[in-house]
Amino acid sequence: MSYLLEANGIVKDYTGHKALDDVTVHVPEGSVYGLLGPNGAGKTTLIRIINHITAPDAGEVIFDGRPLTADDVKHIGYLPEERGLYKKMKVGEQAIFFARLKGLDKRDAEKRLKEWFERMEIGNWWNKKVEELSKGMAQKVQFIITVLHRPKLLIFDEPFSGFDPINANILKREILRLRDEGSTVIFSTHNMSSVEELCDHITLINRSRNILTGNVEELRRSFGGNRFRLRFEGELSSLAEAIKPVVSYIGEDEEENRGQGESVIVELSDAATRRDLVDIANRATDLVGFEPVMPSINNIFINAVRNSSEMPVENK
Amino acid sequence: MELSLIIQREYFERVRRKSFIITTILMPVIMIAMMAFPAVISILSGPEKKTIAVVDPSGIVGNALPAHGELSFAPVEMSVEEAKADNNYDGVLVIGENLVSDDTDVSLYTREAVSLATEESISGELSRIVEQKRLQRYDIENLDQIIAAVQSHVRMQTFTLGDDGEKETSSAISYMIGIVMMMILYMFILMYGQMVMTSIIEEKANRVLEVVVSSVKPYTLLMGKLLGIGCVALTQILIWAFIILAFTMWGLPAILSSATDMDSATLSLVLGIGNPAYIMKLFGCMTLFLVGGYLFYSSIYAAIGSSVDNIQDASQLTSFATMPIIIGLLLAFTVVNDPTSQLAFWTSVIPFTSPMVMMSRMPFGVAGWEIALSAVLLFVSVLFMIWLSAKIYRIGIFMYGKKPNIKDLVRWAKYK
Repeated sequence: MSYLLEANGIVKDYTGHKALDDVTVHVPEGSVYGLLGPNGAGKTTLIRIINHITAPDAGEVIFDGRPLTADDVKHIGYLPEERGLYKKMKVGEQAIFFARLKGLDKRDAEKRLKEWFERMEIGNWWNKKVEELSKGMAQKVQFIITVLHRPKLLIFDEPFSGFDPINANILKREILRLRDEGSTVIFSTHNMSSVEELCDHITLINRSRNILTGNVEELRRSFGGNRFRLRFEGELSSLAEAIKPVVSYIGEDEEENRGQGESVIVELSDAATRRDLVDIANRATDLVGFEPVMPSINNIFINAVRNSSEMPVENK
Repeated sequence: MELSLIIQREYFERVRRKSFIITTILMPVIMIAMMAFPAVISILSGPEKKTIAVVDPSGIVGNALPAHGELSFAPVEMSVEEAKADNNYDGVLVIGENLVSDDTDVSLYTREAVSLATEESISGELSRIVEQKRLQRYDIENLDQIIAAVQSHVRMQTFTLGDDGEKETSSAISYMIGIVMMMILYMFILMYGQMVMTSIIEEKANRVLEVVVSSVKPYTLLMGKLLGIGCVALTQILIWAFIILAFTMWGLPAILSSATDMDSATLSLVLGIGNPAYIMKLFGCMTLFLVGGYLFYSSIYAAIGSSVDNIQDASQLTSFATMPIIIGLLLAFTVVNDPTSQLAFWTSVIPFTSPMVMMSRMPFGVAGWEIALSAVLLFVSVLFMIWLSAKIYRIGIFMYGKKPNIKDLVRWAKYK
């Protein structure tokens, strides 16, 4: 797999506080890469390093096969979490200003902007001052400014905050369309449902370190590998008694029960096989369903953060 | 390329504002109006006449008191009390019988306080009359001719010795110009320096800064802002220079020729100051020190602006920039009284004070090498200050929350 961006062993030390400690991120070309982590984990610092705004104390950033230079920021579009525009400037004028900063010439910028304004249904805002726009409206303008110069790498920090569901969907559609047109997207968030919809790969950063990295589907499969949903007709207590030797966990099914009979979630113990479980369960009750359970990224996230936080962390 | 884009944005955002256009055009109009106001008033209305009754039973003075400015004198045949009660007269001058031998035998009663100048000129006239009477006692032949020949009216012209020969100057007018120029410079440095600071705080507060620095280096943004706002200051000063130049070339002579009561010596001096070449030279030097002083101080203001979250937090740190500017102004007020002193020299080479002090000295004439030394030192310090400011700026713009103190700024400046 070819990577558009590789950040290897990044360390960033602010006096008395390690913001990043040996963080590694490999972003495959043409993918949507989720950068996850609780608040204060170091995501924004990593993004600033990728953007060449701050320099790492150790480690290297490879962009498109070469070490990252200041000129590469022309090929990056960054939508910061805390966004802002010049309030007194008109929308169109301002968009052209930012486009030209990224190296587009004026006429080209104007043509592309008109297209984007149509697509985002904001064609008549061109001559409005930014201070006249609502927050959501300004966010749309900001999104366009971020993607206008067709950067190879797009970085969105919490892009959906402040959007209503309709506009959030427009944004999702546009992000996926940009990926399909060849852009690579880094997507920093703690909104897990959007991660499942959009991301191909993720890395989870907690307390300045990677604690989990991989392909979303593979992660879900590997984390859910031993969990199953049993549907049955009969007594739960007799089923529980019977399967006790082969499972390490029995719990309620949190999902709404839509199928036939009762359902329960179990985790297979390491020594047992699926066949054992099905045989025993079928003997104890009338088994009507058996399926592997994929954990949501949300659960993976919470568990991973909890586990890593329990580990002793070298800080300072 | 990016730098010029940022400069353009900063520049046009301000120059297009109505407030800029209004102040730029209005300020010189107000200044000229204030200069021309007294002359215009005197042309339009003429002075208010006041008549003083002269009670002179012994006839020593008689009709000999000439009218002086707005004052005229009328000899009356009344007693002192009658004259005081008569509302036709604004005052009563009582001449005693013994005035010729006793200098103190004269009194003036007025309804309103009399200015010192009026009082002096009346006693001057009286002294002249008394002296004449005393001389007459000696029965000298052809006395009137002798007195006319002896009388003199001394008017001194002052010259400055300089490289390019002797120049006619007037220290009073140089003093005034010095003060006006240093006040303008002070105002510009303070106003535009704080404009730089406010605009950085604003960018930081509404988070547009993070969007911009993802496209350009923080250093480029800082330089663009300093230069862009500096161009606004230059535009303003150039427009003012143009308006004042146009006024002195065409407006001033017209006003002066109609202002009849200004005597010819003052007239020629004012016209000498109104010499376009002289004004151009002053404005040239002023621009040089304005640019230097602005860049020096605004980079300090920029560092402060980058480190705080809002204007309120800035007030404490701002004194690090504002205090030296005010000290510079106060020193300049001292120096303008003695523009060649040691104090003048040393405060002209220290970049914290040199812009203001040099402005106060400039109209008196300053040696070329001193101007060069002062300017070179100022601009070298400007480079250092911008370098230092950029180091603080690049860290400061990402610091939110804690209100920083000077120690934090020093620590940030030391970061690699």
